[in-house]
Amino acid sequence: MSGSSFLELDRLTRSFAGTAAVYELSIDVAEHEIVTLLGPSGCGKTTTLRMIAGFEHPDSGCVVLEGRNITGTPPQKRGFGMVFQHYALFPHLSVGANVSFGLETAGYSKSETRERVASALDLVRLPGIEDRSVGSLSGGQQQRVALARALAPEPRVLLLDEPLSNLDAALREQTRRELRSLVKEIGITTVYVTHDQEEAFDLSDRIAVMRSGRLDQLGPAEELYHRPATDFVATFLGRAGAVDGTVAGPAEGGSVPCALAGPVVWPALLPGSKSAVAEGENVRILARPEALTFVSTGADGALRGRVVDRRFAGSVYVYTVSVGGGELEVQADGEAASPGDDVGVQPRNAPAGIFAFSRAQTAAG
Amino acid sequence: MSTTRQGGRRLGLRARLLVVAVFVVLIWAVVYPNLVVVGESVKGDGAITFGHYAEYFQTPSELRALWSSVWISIATVLLSALIGVPLAFLFARYEFPGRRVLGALAAMPVLLPPLVGVIAILFLYGESGIATRSLQAFLGLEEAPWRLRGAGAILAVHAYSMYVYFYLFTLAGLARLDPAVHEAAASLGAGRFRTLTRVTLPLLTPTMAGAALLTFMTSMASFSAPYVLGGGFRVMTTQIFNSKLQGETSMAMVETVMLAAVSLMVLWPLSRWEGSREYVAPGKGTRAARRPVRSRWATIGVPTIAGLGVVLLLLPHLTLVLVSLVPDGSWTTQTLPPEYSLENYAQLFGDARTFRPIVNSLLMASAATVIAVALALAVGQLVVRWRVKGRGLLEAMLALPWALPGTVLAIALATTFSVNQPWVGRIVLVGTAWILVLAYTLRVLPLTGRAALAGFRQLDPSLEEAAASLGAGAWRTLRRVTIPGLLPAIAVGASLAFVTGLGEFVASIVLYTHRTRPISIEILSQLRDFDLGTAAAYGVLLMVLVAAAFTFGQRWIQGGSEPG
Repeated sequence: MSGSSFLELDRLTRSFAGTAAVYELSIDVAEHEIVTLLGPSGCGKTTTLRMIAGFEHPDSGCVVLEGRNITGTPPQKRGFGMVFQHYALFPHLSVGANVSFGLETAGYSKSETRERVASALDLVRLPGIEDRSVGSLSGGQQQRVALARALAPEPRVLLLDEPLSNLDAALREQTRRELRSLVKEIGITTVYVTHDQEEAFDLSDRIAVMRSGRLDQLGPAEELYHRPATDFVATFLGRAGAVDGTVAGPAEGGSVPCALAGPVVWPALLPGSKSAVAEGENVRILARPEALTFVSTGADGALRGRVVDRRFAGSVYVYTVSVGGGELEVQADGEAASPGDDVGVQPRNAPAGIFAFSRAQTAAG
Repeated sequence: MSTTRQGGRRLGLRARLLVVAVFVVLIWAVVYPNLVVVGESVKGDGAITFGHYAEYFQTPSELRALWSSVWISIATVLLSALIGVPLAFLFARYEFPGRRVLGALAAMPVLLPPLVGVIAILFLYGESGIATRSLQAFLGLEEAPWRLRGAGAILAVHAYSMYVYFYLFTLAGLARLDPAVHEAAASLGAGRFRTLTRVTLPLLTPTMAGAALLTFMTSMASFSAPYVLGGGFRVMTTQIFNSKLQGETSMAMVETVMLAAVSLMVLWPLSRWEGSREYVAPGKGTRAARRPVRSRWATIGVPTIAGLGVVLLLLPHLTLVLVSLVPDGSWTTQTLPPEYSLENYAQLFGDARTFRPIVNSLLMASAATVIAVALALAVGQLVVRWRVKGRGLLEAMLALPWALPGTVLAIALATTFSVNQPWVGRIVLVGTAWILVLAYTLRVLPLTGRAALAGFRQLDPSLEEAAASLGAGAWRTLRRVTIPGLLPAIAVGASLAFVTGLGEFVASIVLYTHRTRPISIEILSQLRDFDLGTAAAYGVLLMVLVAAAFTFGQRWIQGGSEPG
């Protein structure tokens, strides 16, 4: 996927007070690509971004830009644009002076600077507000001015640290669409940090899912969703119920038969990195709600369970079903069952949406 | 909004009486004496005259004193900034061994009440001071290498005691800045210097204006340093004192009005500008990272320089302690005192004559603190909770004594309360301890006032509403919710007020009698008798009490503790 690596993070490690915030993290970013660092708070994504920007120095490992090691280059020499979580607009400067700040050392003439500021503000659809004070702007406008300021010096890489987290929900959704089309239009290589899965899906070419300072998986959203490498990725991106199981036969074509309570045998996908599991090994089976369907309790290969909850989710209902060895979620049209009903659950199209993770490597197991 | 209401409820009779009482007391104590001074300054033989002012502006020595006060204050501001600001940057931005301890010690000059600071420096750098004699002996000079006299000496003492304002203000200002702003500048290609000049310093300007204002006002009001070290060099405060001493009453009035006028003329525009822009970091933000000093010379050099600087700042304290252990009369021409004992302390507490000032100061400072806290709480309730009409005036009256130099205040009280005309609110207080208590109360009122107002504003009104909804009456709400909530603020204000009263000198010297003399006056008279050890022991006692009160109250003081 990353044939032409533009920005390369090579085994970055950074500890704070003896605890590794980021450990041996390697990510390649291709030119013009948008890569999102996604993970829960405290996973090391912001530390990683700050190492790319040069605000944090890695304990080991390096940051490489176009084949050149820039690990020791101070932030002001990197030529990376950054948008901060709280925007960090200079409160004592006007909007225009904020946007031109990064142009001052570039040696542009006054009129050239003015033009560039104007076009940067045009780009974020805030033309003609150069003389406004930043304090008079709304949150969304501040966010866009911060983006204009970062983009005005034409940086080689754009870094965004949860730039939408301070906007209200409706504005956030609109802004992220605009952000993607804007970034794609300019074609700038972008690293984006967020803890919001939807935001990552909307914006990214590829997503790097991080947990406890390590990279769990790096790939396009579809790959992460349909072929999660860890049970953490499977549950962090999208919903999944979990039940205990045992490997009941040899793996074949990336999937393996697993025995569940019953005994019922469902084929489940193995994570890409794990090519083989031993027969008889305990596994954790995760299943997407849309990969399961209700059948009659006596049906062949059906897992028996009892509905404990029903949630209305717009066009569909999602049922929580307590089964032997865990709880599954099942998506169904209409009111297929009510809480308290005994039901049978079966995969729609096994092994799609059903994943087996060996107990040894699961996080929550 | 401006009606006297609380939560839609009209104030009761007792509350209305309280409102009236607070206004009357403050106008009588804070405003009225100053008006009396203005009146006296234009009083001719039965008619209003500006003759005294004409005389003032035609007397070269008066204009010289005016100009001296102004330029000394400006120079003090510049010098204090030059020391305090870089020091704050050093401790805020760099990580090095001993940073925490040294950073805390750098604020130590605040522990010395003005007069005590002056005599400590005198013991150290005066003509027969330890440092002076050491250098003289080292270089084999016939005479002392310098004389601690005149403008230079005043300036040195001012810079020593007032850089702390810039140091603490800058530290606080830097802590308030959003570190992401610096990173934003760096990510836009700005180097360290450009970030400093284009981002950090402009953002600190409101903070700097605050520190400059405080330093200027303190310096204008400064009396101890010019009085002890000035020699023939006169500033406005010492000029007023001198005129009063020589019985030139009308001239003293004019000088007092002039000093007040100059102070207010600076205060007004600067404080408005200071309050007009305040930049605060939004939300959480990462904590500002301190740069570890990396290069080899810097790892040794920075802590060494910081350490040496701090030792230099602590030398006066150490000298004071050292001299306090010297029996009176034993130290004559030696570089270092030859004998040490605890007899000065034994005498301080054993001899009724020397113990009297300690009792006086403790009693008068306590009384002033209690009154000032009570008044401040009443004003806080009126201004913040009841939002009474004229609350702006109330706040201004609370702060006015801060704007007026202690000398002005003392002259105003001495003038107003030296005649018995109860029908115009004038009674004889001069000669009693009450005039000192009144002076101390007024001087500390801005401190307790600021603390109480801040306390009331931080106290969520819904707490009181919650108490009411749980069935608590007004009294129980006050006792169980309001007072406990205000306690931290009251503690800070009261401890500051107490130590300020304890070391008060500027107003005391105008108002004391032998019977009511406070510690500061006694220090001065011991010094006159060359009982250096006893004077120093009083100084150490004050220093220890100040330290204890600060530890009790708060880690840092922010604001005018004691212009003097």
